[in-house]
This record gives sequence, C-alpha cells and structure tokens, in this order.
Amino acid sequence: MTKSSRSRIFAKVRHSSRGASAEFIREELDSFGKAPSAELPATDTATAFLANVLRNQGTAACAANRTDAVREVGQYLYQHYRTHRLVAGSDPRLAAMPWRDAGVLPRFGAAEGNEPAALSYARLGVAETGAIVTFTGKANPAANNLLAEHHIVVVDCEDLVGDMEEAWVRIRREVDRDGRPRGINFIAGPSSTADIEGQLVYGAHGPRGWHVILLGHVPDSTLDDARELAAG
Amino acid sequence: MEMNSQAFLENAREALGDPEKAKRRDIMAAFTPMVRNAAMESFGKFEPLRQHVRRVRQHTLDNLDHYLDLFEKEALSNGNHVHYAMDGEEMNRIVLDICQRHGARRIAKGKSMVTEETGLSRHLEGAGLNVTETDLGEYIVQQAGEPPSHIVGPALHKSAAEVRELFLSRHDLGERELDETAQLVKEARGVLRQKFLEADVGIIGANALVAENGYSMLVTNEGNGDLCANLPPVLIVCTTMERILPRAEDATAMMRLLVRSATGQPHTCYTSFYSGPRREQDTDGPVETHFVLLDDKRTDILASDYREMLQCIRCGACLNHCPIYTATGGHAYGAVYMGPMGSVLTPLLTSLEESHLLPNACTGCGRCAEVCPSGIPLPDLLRDLRHAEQAAKLSPRRWRQGLKIHAWLARHPRIYHGLTALGIPLLHRLGRRRGAFSKLPLAGGWTSQRDFPAPQRKTFMQAYSNVVKAEKKRQRND
Repeated sequence: MTKSSRSRIFAKVRHSSRGASAEFIREELDSFGKAPSAELPATDTATAFLANVLRNQGTAACAANRTDAVREVGQYLYQHYRTHRLVAGSDPRLAAMPWRDAGVLPRFGAAEGNEPAALSYARLGVAETGAIVTFTGKANPAANNLLAEHHIVVVDCEDLVGDMEEAWVRIRREVDRDGRPRGINFIAGPSSTADIEGQLVYGAHGPRGWHVILLGHVPDSTLDDARELAAG
Repeated sequence: MEMNSQAFLENAREALGDPEKAKRRDIMAAFTPMVRNAAMESFGKFEPLRQHVRRVRQHTLDNLDHYLDLFEKEALSNGNHVHYAMDGEEMNRIVLDICQRHGARRIAKGKSMVTEETGLSRHLEGAGLNVTETDLGEYIVQQAGEPPSHIVGPALHKSAAEVRELFLSRHDLGERELDETAQLVKEARGVLRQKFLEADVGIIGANALVAENGYSMLVTNEGNGDLCANLPPVLIVCTTMERILPRAEDATAMMRLLVRSATGQPHTCYTSFYSGPRREQDTDGPVETHFVLLDDKRTDILASDYREMLQCIRCGACLNHCPIYTATGGHAYGAVYMGPMGSVLTPLLTSLEESHLLPNACTGCGRCAEVCPSGIPLPDLLRDLRHAEQAAKLSPRRWRQGLKIHAWLARHPRIYHGLTALGIPLLHRLGRRRGAFSKLPLAGGWTSQRDFPAPQRKTFMQAYSNVVKAEKKRQRND
C-alpha cells in the first residue's frame, strides 16, 4: 500500500467531509427510504419474470418437476447441437436431477474454452429485470456463465423475487449463512454488443443463447401470458 | 492520449466538413435519445428515482471519509490489496509493478474511462507488455490507433466497412467475407477469446464500489469485463473513490438509471459484483486481486464548487443529447471525456489554460441537465467555468471587452433601452428590403457563418410599454 498517497488522500477527503458520527450517517441514509423500482409487466411474479426474460432476448420454458426440467434441457441441447454434451457446476441440486430420463449426462466442473452449452442452477430470479442470479464457486464456476455458446439456467419458482431490493434481502441472508462469495452475477440475456454502427449482435464474448427454465408449479397459461406481454 | 483541446475549433470545423461521418452522427443523435426516452417513459418514475439516487450520492460525498474508510476495511477483509494513487502516473506505476511482480506479459483489459484518463495501456505497452482492449468498441479503436469518440460507444464514429478493412489488415486470417456486422463480431470474438484464455492479468474498471461489503460492481453487455475479472490469475480494478456507494441496493438503484440513460435497456446483460480473490473451495477466479483508487484531482473537485460533477455516472446521455457533441463528434474535444460532462470535467482534471475552449462548446439549450440521471446542473457548471475563463483572461481580449460593455449596459437599463430604441428601428429600416444582413459592423463573427435577421420596427420593451400604456388607459376609461 502506498502509505503517503493514502494518507494524503484520506486527509483531503476528511477535510471535505462533515465529520458526522456513524450513527447520524446511518440514520440519514435510512431516512431516504427505498428507491423506486420498475413496474412489473404482470401482477403475477412468475409471468412478470418470464416476460422480462423474453424481452431480454432469452428463451424460456416451464417445468413442473425435475424430470420435466431435464427433458427440457435435453431437448434444447438436441435442437441446437444434436448432442447431449453439457457442462454444469458441482451444484448438489443439479447432481440430484434425474439425468438418465433425458439421456443427458453432464460433466460436472468448469467450462473450458469451446463448450457448446453450460447449465447453472440460479440462486434467484428477479422479475423486475428478468435477470437470474448466480454466485461464483464450486456450484457454479464463473466460466460456466461466460464461455459456453449457450447458457441454460434453471430457476426455482420459490426463488423468484419482485425487485432488486428484494433480491438483496435474499442475497444477504445467504451471505450471512455461507460467507461472501467471490462473485455475485446478475445475468439478463445473452451477451450482446452494439459497438459497430449501433447494430445489436448477440454472442459478443459470452453465450449467444440464453435459456431459462422455470421449475415448479405455475398455471399452464404462465408462459403464454409472458409471451404475449413480451410481444406487446 | 494527446491533449489537444486547444484545437477544438479547428477540430470541429474539420469534423463538420466530413458529410459521411456527419450523417452517421445525425443518425445516432436521433436514435440514442429515442431509446433513452422510451426506456424512461416505460419506467415512469425517472424523477423520483433520480432524486433518490442523488440524495444517496450527495450523502456519500458528504460523508466520504466514513465510506472510504469502510470500503477499504471491507475490501481488505475480502482479501484484496488496496492501493491509492495521487495521479495518473502513480496509478500506472502501481499497475505496472503488480504486472511485473507476476512476470506478466499478456494483459486483458475491460473498458475503463479511468485508465483512458491515465493512459495506462500505453504505459504498460511502453514497458513491453501486450495489452488487449477487450470491449469490442475499445478493441476497434485500439487497433485503429485512435482514441474513443464516445464514453459508452467508443467506435461509433466508424462505419462497418471501416471496421471490416481494419480487421482484414490486422487479423491474419486469410481470405474471408466479413460483409456483415455479425461476421465482424464473430471474428473479434474468436480473436479475443484466445486473449482472455492466455491473459496473465485482467484489468477492469468499476461502475460502483459498495462500502458495506467491499464489492465492486461491473456493468457490461458483452461480458468482456467479466471474462477479464474471472479468467486471468491476477485481477486489478482501477477506479476512483467517488464510485463508492453505501449499500448494494444503492448500486443497483443507480444501475437502473445508468443503463436506461446509456443504452435504453432496463438491465445490462451482465451486472456483476466482485469481492476479491478466489475462496479456498472455489474452482476458478483470480488468486490475487487489487484495487487501485485514483485521486487525480477528485479531492480538489470535492472541496470545490464543482463537487456535483463527482455525481457523474458516465452514462453518456448528455453527449447523446448535446447539439455540439452530435454535430462535431467526440474527437473534436481532444480529451478523454467529451460532450457536456467532458467540457466540465476536462478543465477540472487538466487546467483551464489547456481546455478553456471546451466550456464554450455549449449552446445553453439545457438538454444535458434535463436528461442527466444524476441531476448535475451541467449548463450552470459550464457557465461558471466560462466566468473563470473570463476572470483568468483566457478568452480573446476583444471578446472580454465586448462582454464588459454588455455587462455595464445590462446594469444600466435606461441607457440600454435608450440605445436599443435608437439602433433597432435603424436596423429595421436598413434591412427591410432583404429581411436579413449578410454583414454587420461589430458582428462579423456572427455574420461570417449565417445571416442576421432584420429586426421588427420596435424593440420588445417599446412594444411592451405600448401595451402597458394601452392597458392603463383602458382601466382609466372603465
């Protein structure tokens, strides 16, 4: 640490600060209340979440149970690659899925340079933005979010939250229990760029396909309602 | 980059003389405000959100000693090294030191305006390191040997055909088409993927620093910054302390404004929070992480009347809405930061002597203040800088004298009205036939570029007093 620059900068910052007590600072911050968040496209959180996933140029599916979920993964892989090659983090929830039912046997570990597809089990889904949340770690190495051509994400219905503030409440609870992860990633769509003439192109550096599978019991019409909202 | 803000007028003239580039700027000038406005409209609560984030950021700056202290403590406890740099030179030295200590040769760099400011890439390259800018726009301008023309879209001044030529000459990949933008992106993806995998050190910036937990927030659509942050064994985050926010939700509240203002999206594809090196049980991630916090006059700005400028979140909305920026493009400013925010920041970060022309690159239309997600009164700050320019006698002498005369007249309304009551009817009579003047004494600067319209017969005040008199007469008669 460069001590002299540090102390000079701290001295200058102190000179321009109010010198308020920690308690006063906390009270003042609390007094600002909650920031306004975006309105959800539907009152039902699952519909709103899926509508925003689709608006983010993701694709989506619903699966009532884990067997349906692995079948959905298998179908997605077959549609795109005619193979069942897949990499997934060492997440116990993924390991416990009935993979044989779909004829898919994932390699559990971190994605390499040229992987066709990677699978993550999200910690959360945020309806406000249509983002899924993963933590880096053994259960979901960061490379799995970034290096594959397609990123498939399973989200539990119970893990959907309305807005970013609710997401932080949930994240704090997990961090308090398990410690701070190295990375907390909000992902909302396939990697994209508009750096050449403002034209939007998918698959800039990361996945060019992003497929979200909502796992759990939702009304049959949920996905169709979300599609309608996203199209409108 | 080379500072040439003093050549703003020549640069602007040159830019205006290139019709093809001007046309592309016109298209962007129509498109970018449209997507920003649509995003704000669908959000619906722009003003309350702007006020909320502004209050939080004001509070953070007012108590920056507390939050800087807290951030440092948390960042250290997360396992980071935290460095402080008084100026760009010191930041460059610190980063080079870290790279050399690890025997690094290849650097993958994410988009960071702070490192543009310090000329970090050039410094590292000068020491023999191979630095690759990985944001597509930054990569294009790096390959072209040009500075960015926009803080969000660095290569938007280039056509796809120009990028094609550039890639054909820079990438040794044999015969190929590259006629479509998607092909260009795919080629860059292939070339850069290798760079990510080989890099010894990753360097990124930060959109926010979270005091409560020592995380940094990184917002990208391409995911290049995340690849820099996750693949190489060493990560260096180069940023400044005014990025600090108290809590994680403050960072994401700010993000709501940032992405809508910058690209019209409700959320970028990747919004990532990084705390430090990999944990014992982790399978990937850097083994060593550093924060380098640059001052470079931020503490001076904090103590000055320009403090509000530290609330800037680098969204580029003021650029996209500025008639001067959209007419001249970013390169005319000859500075790292351009447009309204750049015209305030550049004189503060360099000196008024070097860049006093920039605060004059303003029509006073006020669109920048209207759209600024941080509510920075940019036109006021630009005017204050013009005052300072005037006081420091940096503007031309004739200009200063003219303004002095005008100021004296404006403070003596009777004389002012008397003189205009003489002059305006005279101009009316002289210009009645043509309706405009192509030349006027003492106004050559104006008439060299456009005609001066012939005024009405009476001044506004004459017409107004006639109305007032008529009204009084009517009341008396009633």
